[in-house]
Amino acid sequence: MTPDSARQLQKLGYDCAIETGAGAAAGFSDATYVEAGVEIVKTSAALWKSVDIVAKVRQPTEVELKRMTKGKTLISFFNPGGNAEGMELARSKGANVIAMEMVPRISRAQKMDALSSMANIAGYRAVIEAGNNFGRFFTGQITAAGKVPPAKVLVVGAGVAGLAAIGTSTSLGAITLAFDVRPEVAEQVESMGAEFVYLDFEEDQADGAATGGYAAVSSPEFRDAQLAKFLELAPEVDIVITTALIPNREAPELWTADMVAAMKPGSVIVDLAAEKGGNCKLTVMDEKIVTENGVTIIGYTDFPSRMASQASTLYATNIRHMVTDLTPDKDGQINHNMEDDVIRGATVTFDKEITFPPPPPKIQAIAAKPKEVVPELTPEEKRAAEVAAFKAATKQQVTLLGTGAAVILLVGMVAPVSFMQHFIVFVLACFVGFQVIWNVAHSLHTPLMAVTNAISSIIILGALMQIGSGSYLVIVLASLSIFMAGINIFGGFLVTRRMLAMFQKS
Amino acid sequence: MEFGFTIAAYVVAAVLFILSLGGLSGQESAKRAVWYGIVSMGLAVFATLVGPGSGLWLLSLLLIAGGGTIGYVVAQRVQMTEMPQLVAAMHSLVGLAAVFVGFNAHIEMGNVLALGHEARESLEGFAALLAHKSPVEQSILRVEVFLGIFIGAVTFTGSVVAYGKLSGKLGSVATKLPGGHMLNAGAAAISAVCLVWYFNTGGILPMALMTLAALFIGYHLIMGIGGADMPVVVSMLNSYSGWAAAAIGFSLGNDLLIVVGALVGSSGAILSYIMCKAMNRSFVSVILGGFGGTTGPQMAVEGEQIAIDADGVATALEEADSVVIIPGYGMAVAQAQQNVAELTRRLRAKGKVVRFAIHPVAGRLPGHMNVLLAEAKVPYDIVMEMDEINDDFPETDVAIVIGSNDIVNPAAQDDPNSPIAGMPVLECWKAKQVFVSKRGQGTGYSGIENPLFFKDNTRMFYGDAKASLDQLLTLIQ
Repeated sequence: MTPDSARQLQKLGYDCAIETGAGAAAGFSDATYVEAGVEIVKTSAALWKSVDIVAKVRQPTEVELKRMTKGKTLISFFNPGGNAEGMELARSKGANVIAMEMVPRISRAQKMDALSSMANIAGYRAVIEAGNNFGRFFTGQITAAGKVPPAKVLVVGAGVAGLAAIGTSTSLGAITLAFDVRPEVAEQVESMGAEFVYLDFEEDQADGAATGGYAAVSSPEFRDAQLAKFLELAPEVDIVITTALIPNREAPELWTADMVAAMKPGSVIVDLAAEKGGNCKLTVMDEKIVTENGVTIIGYTDFPSRMASQASTLYATNIRHMVTDLTPDKDGQINHNMEDDVIRGATVTFDKEITFPPPPPKIQAIAAKPKEVVPELTPEEKRAAEVAAFKAATKQQVTLLGTGAAVILLVGMVAPVSFMQHFIVFVLACFVGFQVIWNVAHSLHTPLMAVTNAISSIIILGALMQIGSGSYLVIVLASLSIFMAGINIFGGFLVTRRMLAMFQKS
Repeated sequence: MEFGFTIAAYVVAAVLFILSLGGLSGQESAKRAVWYGIVSMGLAVFATLVGPGSGLWLLSLLLIAGGGTIGYVVAQRVQMTEMPQLVAAMHSLVGLAAVFVGFNAHIEMGNVLALGHEARESLEGFAALLAHKSPVEQSILRVEVFLGIFIGAVTFTGSVVAYGKLSGKLGSVATKLPGGHMLNAGAAAISAVCLVWYFNTGGILPMALMTLAALFIGYHLIMGIGGADMPVVVSMLNSYSGWAAAAIGFSLGNDLLIVVGALVGSSGAILSYIMCKAMNRSFVSVILGGFGGTTGPQMAVEGEQIAIDADGVATALEEADSVVIIPGYGMAVAQAQQNVAELTRRLRAKGKVVRFAIHPVAGRLPGHMNVLLAEAKVPYDIVMEMDEINDDFPETDVAIVIGSNDIVNPAAQDDPNSPIAGMPVLECWKAKQVFVSKRGQGTGYSGIENPLFFKDNTRMFYGDAKASLDQLLTLIQ
């Protein structure tokens, strides 16, 4: 919890409390919390006792879990896959536990996806650590003292951490290459300014969307092609950042010992998968080592702690969003809605029952459907299509003209000459009208309607011709017509002029 | 001699009329083109006054002047948002005038035919024209008069109803009397019977019956068509008023009437066609009312509508480089065009690229949005048509939807079962961020759920469009 998120939580109707000195490492003193209206509690035991919702970062210890009572809610990382005793304990105590790592990867839940927040930090920090241990500039420079080539960075795995690393590295000016087993992320990689490394390998890749947005295990042939490509790249690159993780498995070995051997002295490898055995087998967890040929391998796993302030802010925001979703009425009362996909997915114990693992989310993670491939037409086919279209158009036009001519001829057979003269005028006028109106700008359609309105009052001519008649009824009707047409003529033209005068060029 | 002069004047007037319509191809040439129209109308009236058949000069001029005054006052006072109503009202006047002129022709015909041979020789003008007609020509004349009155009457009541709906005096919901289209078909059948009857007898009774039937058709047809289809209705009535003038022109043997009627008729027909195409619906289905039948269940919309306040919109606008604004009928209703224009000016002053995307059926009249924006002094060269701007959305930072709904509905492309499937729409959801200014969470006129509102990059900016923009303007200086 940060002072900012505490204020937000208070808006939801909650009172906030924090253990004394909890924010010190992240640069938030007790005083700033007091200022934000947070109660400071002296010991953690007292804190656990006094509150209804406990939010913490690390997996709770047995002692801590024993402090839970029925109806209390714990929001924390929990590692439910490898913490059966913890779950059982929480269940027996009747506590409702929400495991932050279980937040489903759907777009609605991104705001509370703490794993992504932490991965983001890890990706950024990985580049910074690498730079710290790398003896040259990232960006290429031409100085009075000579030319400096840019650093070449390879990022393996373009998940959240990988993308963050790509972004950081490109913005520092390095040439960045990136690889991922899911070819559909190539677009994202390129949008971050990196170059995607394509393999010369043909295989239908499993759609990442089917596995909840995570990478799946790849086939041996694919792996071979991938390793060959990496070996080819190894002498060229200065910094390698590996982020490849597959859920609930040991990290795949992607950067073999002979690749390390092929790298230039002074190169740096940052292995973000160190916790799960490392993408490089030489990696030592939580340590920095230097190989015989002078390559530094960094296996730290505590990147978020190395950026405590940033990590706290992001995690606090994730927690706050989670609490917001738990409090739909903003009344300070928890509404643990097990129908909600996100809340259901993250909950591991609820109401004295273990609810792990969750059912698959109803909504598919990534909606990127494979694009339907439109076969490229050969020039001959295009030509044939054009000819066919032309023929069809000609046929249509000829049929239309033929029918029209036949109808006119038929009318001409019966109708007297005087009618036919007018009829020709009519047909030609329609023709001219169609030709002219198609050229009218779309933006001028309203003025067009107003002006056609005005000129359709040409009917006034008919009334003017009739008003000289002897019959009074005719005179009255004709007068009315003239009057109405008069309104229309003046109104139509004037309003058109008014409208057109408004159209100004910038 | 006089007659020759009239014909010559008519030729000049016809050419000028064509030029005045042709000039509407561009904003600048249009300003000149209106004068062609005015001059040719003056010329036509003058030539007719001095030509054969007319009399009572003074009365005619007085009537024109009287009508002209009213027209002048109306044209000066009308709000640009009220243009659809005004156009509809004017159509009704043309329709009614056509009915009167048609009846006059009928009365004259009766009078002339009753006269003896010698008396006929002494007649002048229109009556003389009638007098010299052979029996076949008289039959044709009857059909022409009949058609002129029929179309005129349909135009009249149709336009009156359209006026009522557009001005809000009648509910814009499609309503039909019990019996639906059978009533229309029945009235049309009565008219057809009357035509045969009148053709054979020339009596006033079938004529009056037909007029009543036509008036009913006009009323009932337009009552059955709802709000968003009004652009088609108005352009269709525009077309009818032209055909009515042409039919009267036939019966009076006046070529200028025929030419102008045909010009107006085809203009309205093309407008209707463009509107229908923009909604991907056939003309018949619009006229018969209601949206086309759905072929299956619509795609369920997933996700939630996320609201945003003016602060958020202002921040996003400050950061954006390119902005596209999509106005709709809601902007006209809220009278928000001045605020939109002010926002545009301020954003442009900050060096941002601001453009407008206009869907062909936005508003209640073809080109309605263009006129409203022009009135608010938005330069017309940043107002784009759908085809011009649709490809630019992926490079757009912010798209703002103000009071439009169906024209930005992605279901038209994604959901083959949607009632508007296949309708061309503005692909604003491809922009990096979309803000939708909307009153509330309702589904709008057509009752179709809009998946745009649920997209990840969409934020809903609830409230009256004008009030929302006012609030926004205080934040963007």
